[in-house]
Amino acid sequence: MALRYGADFVGAVVVGAALGWGVDRLFGTTPFGLIALLIVGFAAGVLNVMRSAGLVSTTPEGRSDFSSLPGKKNGNGK
Amino acid sequence: MAAEDPIHQFHIERLVPIHIGGLDISFTNAALFMVLTVLGAGAFLLLSTGSRRVVPGRWQSAAELTYEFVAKTVRDSAGEEGMRFFPFVFALFMFVLVANLWGLFPYFFTVTAQIIVTAALSLAVILTVLIYGLWRHKLHFFHLFVPSGVPKAILPFVVLIEVLSFVSRPISLSIRLFANMLAGHITLKVFAGFVTMLGSLGAVGIVGAILPLAATVGLTALELLVAALQAYVFAVLASLYLNDALHPGH
Repeated sequence: MALRYGADFVGAVVVGAALGWGVDRLFGTTPFGLIALLIVGFAAGVLNVMRSAGLVSTTPEGRSDFSSLPGKKNGNGK
Repeated sequence: MAAEDPIHQFHIERLVPIHIGGLDISFTNAALFMVLTVLGAGAFLLLSTGSRRVVPGRWQSAAELTYEFVAKTVRDSAGEEGMRFFPFVFALFMFVLVANLWGLFPYFFTVTAQIIVTAALSLAVILTVLIYGLWRHKLHFFHLFVPSGVPKAILPFVVLIEVLSFVSRPISLSIRLFANMLAGHITLKVFAGFVTMLGSLGAVGIVGAILPLAATVGLTALELLVAALQAYVFAVLASLYLNDALHPGH
């Protein structure tokens, strides 16, 4: 399943880069939009991978629940 | 060396050129194999369930197995309520599975190795999530992007990350299927190409060609696994995303 995590991560970084490029084109803020959104995309990619790996649980309402992360008490993260 | 070009198998060729008003809507080999995929899946399900018996025969059990399998997948990821999306997920699963399996035949075209096909499939999933989620929950749908248990100070950043994570879903969903099929078929073609290249080198080459031939046989089995697995992964992720449309938060 390595490629599954890979696609999750790369997808988010690509989206971040594309959005950043688009923001720069719209507002003429080159290169800061690209830099900022690339980093946010990186974070979103890590979140995607953690979600795929089951490290971030989802509440019954469908929201992300970060309280099960390792390092917090009564967490069940691997 | 055109015969051993591993990329050549993905070329789209116009079988019946059709041009209407400057639009090229020719019937290509990709279109032909999409038609074959639909016909294959339809024929399998219709013929196997045509004479329904209480004690199923081999074909009927195969059809029932696929139904039960996808139904369990949908129930596990999206709950009982998710079964309203079952026809959609089942259609996606059958399309991807049959397209992948057709692609395993030599000289056949693999439609799921075209990013435009997988992108269209995953966009259908995401648009269903967005439209159904917004129609059913109105603005409450956007609670999906607001995680619980996050301090107010960093909430804007977390929401931005969640939005990006959501937007990246159709991209990773389409890239995953596309990359798996593309990489598998290129590997298969490269190893099969070694067999013919070594075979033209005389006696030593023919002995040496045994190794890539064995690898090709092994890879074909692996590709069969990947074909079924990727169809399953696509169905699981589609129902996971559809779950968000049903339960985006209150």
